[in-house]
Amino acid sequence: MNSEALRAQRIADYIVGAMEEHDVAQFEAELATDRHLADDVRELERKFSALDDTAKAEAVPDRLWQSISERVQTTEQPKAANSNTPPRTKAGWTTTLRPAAMAASLVIAVGLGFAGGMLTQPDEEPPVVIAVLSGDDMRPGAIVEAFANDSVRIVPLEALSAPQGQVLEVWTLPDEETGPVSLGTFAEARELVLTGPSLPAPQPDQLYEITLEPEGGSPTGRPTGPVLLLGNARVPQV
Amino acid sequence: MTIQDISEDATDHLLAQISNGDRDALEALFRAEAGRMVAIARRIVRRSDLAEEVVQEAFVLIWQRASQFDSGRGRARAWMTRIVRNRALNLIRDGSRMDFHDGATLEAIGDREQDASHAYAALPERHALKVCLDQLETGKRRSILLCYVTGMSHGEVAEKLGAPLGTIKAWIRRGMASLRECLG
Repeated sequence: MNSEALRAQRIADYIVGAMEEHDVAQFEAELATDRHLADDVRELERKFSALDDTAKAEAVPDRLWQSISERVQTTEQPKAANSNTPPRTKAGWTTTLRPAAMAASLVIAVGLGFAGGMLTQPDEEPPVVIAVLSGDDMRPGAIVEAFANDSVRIVPLEALSAPQGQVLEVWTLPDEETGPVSLGTFAEARELVLTGPSLPAPQPDQLYEITLEPEGGSPTGRPTGPVLLLGNARVPQV
Repeated sequence: MTIQDISEDATDHLLAQISNGDRDALEALFRAEAGRMVAIARRIVRRSDLAEEVVQEAFVLIWQRASQFDSGRGRARAWMTRIVRNRALNLIRDGSRMDFHDGATLEAIGDREQDASHAYAALPERHALKVCLDQLETGKRRSILLCYVTGMSHGEVAEKLGAPLGTIKAWIRRGMASLRECLG
């Protein structure tokens, strides 16, 4: 099958809902960066939505809104580190990195090339905080454990790999003034440990996220690509 | 047209308000769109309680992700429809939630083929999708409709239509290629 036919088939499988779950994650990562592909999908999706429009709206019990309302009261709207949309507040993720933090993130942006031992032995101490990162479908996609010594362990919960010529980059937002700080890059989801720049101890609710970036990591030192996974940290009750 | 039938523009506007943390806008969106979303989800997950669960998850997700919606590249309603469809498909693919692989169980909760053919029949006569689906051979059309409308897997479609799995895959592949060509 040539690449054009394969592309057409993947679009078709995605639209009719016949794609394997792990292929869906990969495909949606591509959709986030390939504008042409996203436009083709949206065009066909729009035509097919005529079938959804034939569904007769059903009466909805009021308790459904009550449940949503309760959950929303306790659910923060994560401030996405996505540069595709204009910042909503001046003090958001788009705060310019201080030079020191910038230099530090460049140092650790080496990403791959870790020694084997470093990949599995982060620290004997338990993590200070743990964040479960989830994607658009809200299913947990990765766990980030952040340790007191500036290292983080990433445990992927789903297959996630960067398309050719791109990498996955891990970020955290220690505080609004510092802005987003890169913790490192990797190409394919696997358990690994990254040691980031020296930062204040990780705090409860601190945001962690993984974005798709050009090879070598974000060229600006702050997130530029689509957010694939994100989540807020919690303190383990051990 | 009811008072709840708000226009696509209004839906786009509500989503922009939601991205700024406006919970009242979320409620307005719920009042306008939840009935339709429950109906779409129920075609896939079959049970009302599961359809409502899907819509609950979808609205929490809409709340969380509203700021990521790019209004320059599509309409809010299409974005919401994609979310609710994907949530519903995830739920039926998750074997731990319910024995969805038991075709008899699903049939007991309603006739999926009937839902698919009703959706097809209810398309406006002159809608491009209707015109193009009309041109497909019956097997291809039924396979595509069962997958899209009810979320059946290729294997389930094969069982339903009494055709080999390879045939179903080829029907869907060729049928979708014809549709794309026809839809231009």
